[in-house]
Amino acid sequence: MEPLYIAASPASPEVDFRFAEHMLSLKGESYPENAAAFYGPVIERLRAYLAACSEVTITVNVSLAYFNSSSTKMLFALFEALNDAASSNSVVLNWYRDEEDDTIQEFGEELRDDFPALEFNDRPI
Amino acid sequence: MRSIPLLYEEFEDFWQVAQKRHVIFFYTGYFSQHVVAAISETIRARLDTAGAAGPTRRRIFSAFVEMSQNIMHYSSEALTPPVERDQQMRRGSFCIGNRDEHFYLLSANPVLTANVESIRERLEPLRTMTVDEIKSAYKKALREPAPEDSKGAGLGFLTMAREASEPLEFEFVPAPNDPDTTIFCIKAII
Repeated sequence: MEPLYIAASPASPEVDFRFAEHMLSLKGESYPENAAAFYGPVIERLRAYLAACSEVTITVNVSLAYFNSSSTKMLFALFEALNDAASSNSVVLNWYRDEEDDTIQEFGEELRDDFPALEFNDRPI
Repeated sequence: MRSIPLLYEEFEDFWQVAQKRHVIFFYTGYFSQHVVAAISETIRARLDTAGAAGPTRRRIFSAFVEMSQNIMHYSSEALTPPVERDQQMRRGSFCIGNRDEHFYLLSANPVLTANVESIRERLEPLRTMTVDEIKSAYKKALREPAPEDSKGAGLGFLTMAREASEPLEFEFVPAPNDPDTTIFCIKAII
């Protein structure tokens, strides 16, 4: 499957999904004007990839310094898709965050509670 | 030669008011995504020099993004056609200042008078919630489908309330000469 790469902009993160290597990465800040328009196609590609995965180990590196409310909603949907795929695969989520940032820490905890199939690693920096 | 001091005087009046109110940033005009991103850069630099602590800076920045995107999405005065969902430019005002130990963020924009009650219904309950109640309302909203009339996620006001250290204050003021329009003002103290 073709990789998905979207360069970062001041208000949207870098998306680097290397499907062939099972390495997915999100990095930067996220407050696009229309989060559904930005993340919709990303989640669609992710779902297509996940549908074809079986018994593989998928590594997801998330390093988002800030995300606004509408991005939060879309990210939740993205992790939900990964959690669904984790029943027949192994999905490792590395959650990189500023050690002082309690909001991102709390959102990480939400993900850990809601999506228990993900192997969640909190990575304060 | 006299024109230079006169022009300066015009600014001087404005600066004095701004200084007296400890305003560190003020913008009034059209909000687009480009404007929001540019203001973000300025605000971060200003907060660095104003000596705000890391978590405070983050809270201010988060409340700023929610307020400015609210203006961009919901102000009733738009330069862009209403059917256009992206590249919106809508009018409003935004200000950050500090008072005593706190920073405050204030935003104002016109809304349709017909929408006043639904905005009030969403904001009023937040004023009496505890921090824990706000957090659990936020968690609940995160898992629900976005409301029909929302371009965000229905999480904007909850995010502002979560970042604030006191209940959100808001006010509706009739627009002069236009009964269909009301000015919506909201204030968050961080």
